[in-house]
Amino acid sequence: MNEETTLSSGYPWVKWQQAWLDEGLAQTRRMLHLPLVWNRAQRIKKGATPSEVIYEEDRLKLLHYRDSEPPRYRTPLLFVYALVNRPYILDLKPGRSVVANFVNRGFDTYLVDWGVPTHADRHLTLDDYINGYLVNVVDYLCERTGLPQINILGYCMGGTMSAMFTALHPKRLKNLLLLAAGIDFATRDGLLNLWTRSEYFDVDKFIEAFGICPAEFLQASFLLLNPVQNLLEKPINFYQNADNEQYLDDFLTTEMWLNDNIPVAGEVFREFVKYLYQQNLLTQNRMPVGKHIVNLRNITCPIMNIMARNDDLVPCAQSTTFNDLVSSKDRQSIIFPAGHIGLAIGSKAQKEVWPQVCDWLAKRS
Amino acid sequence: MNDSSENLSDQVAAFQKIWTEAFSRMAQSAFAFSPDSAPPELMRQIRSGIFQALAQSWDEYLRSPQFLEAMKQWMDNAMMFRKVTNDFFTKARHETQDIAREDIDSMMLAVRHMEKRILDRLESLSARVDELTQAKPNGPVGGAARRRATAARRQAAAAQGSRKPSRPSQTKNPL
Repeated sequence: MNEETTLSSGYPWVKWQQAWLDEGLAQTRRMLHLPLVWNRAQRIKKGATPSEVIYEEDRLKLLHYRDSEPPRYRTPLLFVYALVNRPYILDLKPGRSVVANFVNRGFDTYLVDWGVPTHADRHLTLDDYINGYLVNVVDYLCERTGLPQINILGYCMGGTMSAMFTALHPKRLKNLLLLAAGIDFATRDGLLNLWTRSEYFDVDKFIEAFGICPAEFLQASFLLLNPVQNLLEKPINFYQNADNEQYLDDFLTTEMWLNDNIPVAGEVFREFVKYLYQQNLLTQNRMPVGKHIVNLRNITCPIMNIMARNDDLVPCAQSTTFNDLVSSKDRQSIIFPAGHIGLAIGSKAQKEVWPQVCDWLAKRS
Repeated sequence: MNDSSENLSDQVAAFQKIWTEAFSRMAQSAFAFSPDSAPPELMRQIRSGIFQALAQSWDEYLRSPQFLEAMKQWMDNAMMFRKVTNDFFTKARHETQDIAREDIDSMMLAVRHMEKRILDRLESLSARVDELTQAKPNGPVGGAARRRATAARRQAAAAQGSRKPSRPSQTKNPL
């Protein structure tokens, strides 16, 4: 037994002094690194996988992800992202990209970027997005590949829209993958479900006054879902890791995306809040999309439903019922212990969830 | 005491209860430390406990009727303010013979209604043509020929490098 150990075990204040000294040095390191953070933030890039725009319509852009080798699976895979925030979260950075998982496995991968709506788009409805833009994109992909069907992976609100699209056009889909997609809005687990109740939130008056749903309003709502974590823990964690290169890179990339909000077209927002959050029409097979009514029983293709256990935006209870509402015989669920964003870009999800999902899709493509 | 003041005092009591419990939980976390931990580590543990207690209380508060009522009031005021501002600017622009956002919105809505009527009419015409094609003895051949022609047109458009939207553009306007 050496002298140091004896002192440490016998007199805790020696150990404490050492700990204070270490902490002091760490603080100095962090303080010295802080001025470099701004420079680093300027160098953050959006997207990890090379891509090209192959189709444009109004504000919509369809990206095709390039790979050095030709795709191993012929059926194209289309990522459909939400109308809130930007879609590059799905291809955030190397090692944190959902898209890269599929591209590297040999899938012919595409992504819909809906663009940023302005006041001129306030009248766009779910019908325009689903039966207009999405149908045109699927038509184009089928034409391009010479195949009658495609695979769709929908994330968050994009997942809800993908489910509606599949129910309205069941023959166009080979496989449907949903990632944290809200389907059953009857649950009161989520704060958004509570805040949007008709007695507290008059969506008609809101859209009449604002025209479109402002990006700042959405961002404030998302921040308020978990104020202690977003406004206290996050800045403290950032400071404590200011000298950790890897942490800084992940933090700055994610924060850049989180603060890169976009508005939502007014009519779509109205329909989403009124028909889904307030009336929960989708699970009752009464959801109107233009002249059509969405019947989830029309969905017969294989289903993969991926959910996050700690999701505060789309609680698990909002997605779990989906598999029971469709007619598909081949349906599978994954509930992963992560949050809404961690499910896509978390390092554990990258190692455990996405290889499993790629295997599932490879067997069916 | 009338109903509104009773209601207010109930709300204040509920609000106080949530936050008194929060501070009590935070105090418990702050003093639940082990003497074996080194001070910086201890500080981290205390901070984590306090944040956990605070997060729990905030979640409770954000679900409470008090918060929901306050949120409703705030939203109503924000919408009212926005509406008054919109009305003021519309009136000011109209007084100066200028075009207000409301006029553009009305025009956009009229265009959308017109577009919808045209698309509905086209759809019904297309359905009728399909019916007529099916009714003809050589119907399916005609249908196949039409599909081939459509595919050829699309291929030609794709070869040009850009694809034209197959539905009328809604955002290609001077706004």
